[in-house]
Amino acid sequence: MSNRDLILMGFGNLLRRKTRSVLTVLGVIIGTCSIVVMLSLGFAMDRGFQEQLAYMGDLTIIDVNNYGGYDMGMMGGSSGSGSQTKLDEQAVARFRQIPNVKAVMPQRSAYMKMAAGRYVGHVNIMGVDPEVMEAFGFEVEMGRLLQASDKDTMVFGRSVAYNFYNPRMNNQNRYYGGMNGDTPPPVDVLTAKLTMTSDMQYGETRNRYDDGNDGPAPKIYDIRGVGILAQSNSEKDYNAYMNRDSLEKILEEQQRQNRNDRGRVDNSQYERVQVKVNRIEDVEAVQETIKAMGHQTYSLTDILTSMKETSRMIQMILGGIGAISLLVAAIGITNTMIMSIYERTREIGVMKVIGARLTDIRKLFLIEAGLIGFAGGLLGVGISYLISMGLNRIGASFMGPDSITKMSVIPFQLALMAIGFSTLIGIIAGYSPARRAMKLSALEAIRNE
Amino acid sequence: MEKMIQLEHVRKVYRLGDEKVVAVDDISLDIAAGEVCCLLGTSGSGKSTLLNLMAGLEKPTKGKIIIKGKRVDKMSESTLALFRQQNIGFVFQSYNLMPMLTALENVALPLTFRGIPVKKRNQMAREMLRDVGLEKYVKHKPTQMSGGQQQRVGIARAFVSRPPVVFADEPTGNLDSKTSQEVMDIILGMAKQHQQTLVIVTHDPSISNYADAVHTILDGNLDLTNRETLTITQEGIDQ
Ligand SMILES: Nc1ncnc2c1ncn2[C@@H]1O[C@H](COP(=O)(O)OP(=O)(O)OP(=O)(O)O)[C@@H](O)[C@H]1O
Ligand SMILES: [Mg+2]
Repeated sequence: MSNRDLILMGFGNLLRRKTRSVLTVLGVIIGTCSIVVMLSLGFAMDRGFQEQLAYMGDLTIIDVNNYGGYDMGMMGGSSGSGSQTKLDEQAVARFRQIPNVKAVMPQRSAYMKMAAGRYVGHVNIMGVDPEVMEAFGFEVEMGRLLQASDKDTMVFGRSVAYNFYNPRMNNQNRYYGGMNGDTPPPVDVLTAKLTMTSDMQYGETRNRYDDGNDGPAPKIYDIRGVGILAQSNSEKDYNAYMNRDSLEKILEEQQRQNRNDRGRVDNSQYERVQVKVNRIEDVEAVQETIKAMGHQTYSLTDILTSMKETSRMIQMILGGIGAISLLVAAIGITNTMIMSIYERTREIGVMKVIGARLTDIRKLFLIEAGLIGFAGGLLGVGISYLISMGLNRIGASFMGPDSITKMSVIPFQLALMAIGFSTLIGIIAGYSPARRAMKLSALEAIRNE
Repeated sequence: MEKMIQLEHVRKVYRLGDEKVVAVDDISLDIAAGEVCCLLGTSGSGKSTLLNLMAGLEKPTKGKIIIKGKRVDKMSESTLALFRQQNIGFVFQSYNLMPMLTALENVALPLTFRGIPVKKRNQMAREMLRDVGLEKYVKHKPTQMSGGQQQRVGIARAFVSRPPVVFADEPTGNLDSKTSQEVMDIILGMAKQHQQTLVIVTHDPSISNYADAVHTILDGNLDLTNRETLTITQEGIDQ
């Protein structure tokens, strides 16, 4: 018997007992809905985490930190950090060799005082390699990024300009001035004539806490702003970036000048190296490799992984609750099919006598059960989408209309899998009735008149 | 003549608790290809049992059943199903049409089982319905037809795939005598037209008039006292 004929015949048989078929399908609909909706809550949670984290920064960047240098002094190397590998040029070279690493950015930072006309501000300056800035997601809103040939130039984070204040004014407007970009910053870093120094008193009004000079005043550097970064809601908004070579030169100069250098930093090591990985999926492997080299690492994916574990567990619990109702639906299908065999005993017997193959009989019943599962799955998924829409509407009403985080997300694969799964459940539920129908004695069947 | 069906010392005993019921005692019988054979007997004599044994619906307790040279009693369930599909047609006393299918679909059903495409099988079924005089009832469901009409659909269904052997258990059992006559004419006409072997079970002696060979069954055995007269009848037909 051709599959087409089997399906048509199975479909016809289901239509013969409409009420019962509809009720059985309803059971599957409820089962499918509860699984899909439950899982959709978990998926929404996952997506929410990811969006939240992406908002916090780039998920494909691994931070390698050099805590070792400080730990040793402060904790006496108690945590075994003495064994930490040096975060130096060689380490950076090794990072570049790791598969799936797109770019590596060693960083050096300095906390400096900057001045522009009457305004001064404390700025955290990061020394970076201009070549890899683009790979690390630096984008300018105005001006341009750093170039390899740049020396005394800087690119400013979106909010840095708001750090500037007029020391001769009272505390109003300091630091918290309209960072949202509603009001223009006090200084236009692209046009202003900028200076930079490590002297934190530079440009301040002298006050009674001033303990006077010790030694020569730190050198003052002229700086030119060439770009302002686009807003990224990450640390980039608050830093100024400079060519690393230039910054290192400045730092060396200052160290030479500054004789009582207790907190002298090992210049061969970096405070932080950032590693950009090709795809989110590669982050874990690369991070493990770096850890194995003896470095301390951190990435947003760390948080994502633990968040995902949590949501996976919640999903499993929710899915399990849904699965119970699908199990009940499966029992319903089995029940319906067994009833159907009792009713159709004679028919099955006649079919066998007039030439139906045993496999055809079995297939027919499996198809009928599968059709119930399929119909229930299809409608269940459809209804799940409606429920999901409803949930998101309710969610939006208390999370605010522009909230990106949804309460329920049904990925297309979940919908497909749900339909496939419910069909499979139907077929499994129909297996034993189908066997029973196949083994039915044709003679007994036609004899009971 | 070529033997289509051979029975050798066939015996069927039913066990009901401790009691044994001998439905078929010891029957040996040959049925030639193209022969119309009638198994005649009173109620409970074991003729249905014998027919079911031949059709492979039951296994004999003893003996051999051979159709087209193949041991039917030795076949597995699935082999039997295939064998029946290709060699055997069946006419039931109570018609046994599929209630949800039309007359046309009912007739086409054995062809459906054989995997014949819908166009071709509908055409064949339509021809069969025309041959049994039901061309106007193609779209009727069984419940919309009289007993005689239903049985004609049943006959069309049994013959549509041109099986070499057709079994009929009391095909006129539920019909009045006039309709019985019409139905018997149709069955016989079909069997003769394509030289199909036809085995009819009946308790109605008038039916036996249509047959080439009549075997009377009495308490699970062939009644040999009737046999000589039959042989004479047969010779008469042959001449
Ligand atoms: N499944 C069974 N279990 C027990 N006994 C059976 C079974 N089938 C048939 N018999 C017995 O075997 C005997 C023959 O039955 P069978 O149905 O062959 O008779 P029959 O000649 O067809 O009668 P009828 O003309 O009434 O249909 C009967 O005595 C019946 O009771
Ligand atoms: Mg009988």
